Amino acid sequence: MQQSFFEWLQNTPAGILIGETWFPWVESTHVMFTAVVIGTILTVDARLLGLGLQQLRLTYITQRLLPLTWGAFVGAAITGGMMFIANATSYIHNGPFLAKMCLLVVLGLNMLYFHVVTYRNVAEWDTGKPSASARTAGLISTFLWLAVIACGRWIGFVSNLS
Amino acid sequence: MDIYEFGDWLAATAPSQLIQNVTWAIPTIQSVHILSLALLFTSALLLSLRFAGLGLTAEPLAQLAARSTRRIWQLLVVLAITGALLITAEPGRTITNPAFFLKMGLLVVVVVLTLWLASSARREEKPTGMQLSVATLAVLLWIAIIFAGRFIAYTKPY
Repeated sequence: MQQSFFEWLQNTPAGILIGETWFPWVESTHVMFTAVVIGTILTVDARLLGLGLQQLRLTYITQRLLPLTWGAFVGAAITGGMMFIANATSYIHNGPFLAKMCLLVVLGLNMLYFHVVTYRNVAEWDTGKPSASARTAGLISTFLWLAVIACGRWIGFVSNLS
Repeated sequence: MDIYEFGDWLAATAPSQLIQNVTWAIPTIQSVHILSLALLFTSALLLSLRFAGLGLTAEPLAQLAARSTRRIWQLLVVLAITGALLITAEPGRTITNPAFFLKMGLLVVVVVLTLWLASSARREEKPTGMQLSVATLAVLLWIAIIFAGRFIAYTKPY
């Protein structure tokens, strides 16, 4: 039943079109959007960890960069979804792909906790050294995003996917 | 020695053999390459946005331009080293590949544009239309470089 759904998905006209023609273009677009997602997030993380942009308020940096992050994330999710449709039956058995999806869930929870709980007293550390829990969030985010890149690249090395 | 013989010679050298025989080496080098590219592209994008009066406008233009371009040069060094390692590992995949040559050609142009941006931003107090145009062109070239890089995997070498 499950297998047949992914088989059906892969054999839809969209799945076939992407798989046979569009794949390299979709993949390149995915890399471009991913670059902006990870580049902007690591910039915020660096600020949290005291590694850069110390002269700017944290809330200012997030207010200016997060719209870029989210815009690029939507692009990355759409292009990622298109790649998934084209090779659905391979991806669901691909270890690095599954690990990457799990990492994204954990990163989402890390971000949610940061914005809902840690951010409450941001006024106290907006200009100075971020609170311990804010620095922890930045450290977790940095390491997990590096792991996301590695998993993303490894997807193509454990199957016939590129 | 032609380029094919050079590729065969390079692929047979000890460093190339080492990278080829360690199974995790190529994806690891590629991951560092992509991480550096992500940071570089974001720097180039934020620089072009700053010339348009967007993004991190609270930072003075000259300071942001100096910081961004210095970061771009540092990352280009990492990209050149990891790129050279990838060529060493798989010369047959790259050095006779049209997508690779396109990528290197575009890289030369974008380096010249970035050099100009770095020097002009030191002089000007306010962003000029010329700077915005050149910075936008640089971002478009970086996008083309990302595409050409990925297309190395899909383009047949000569």
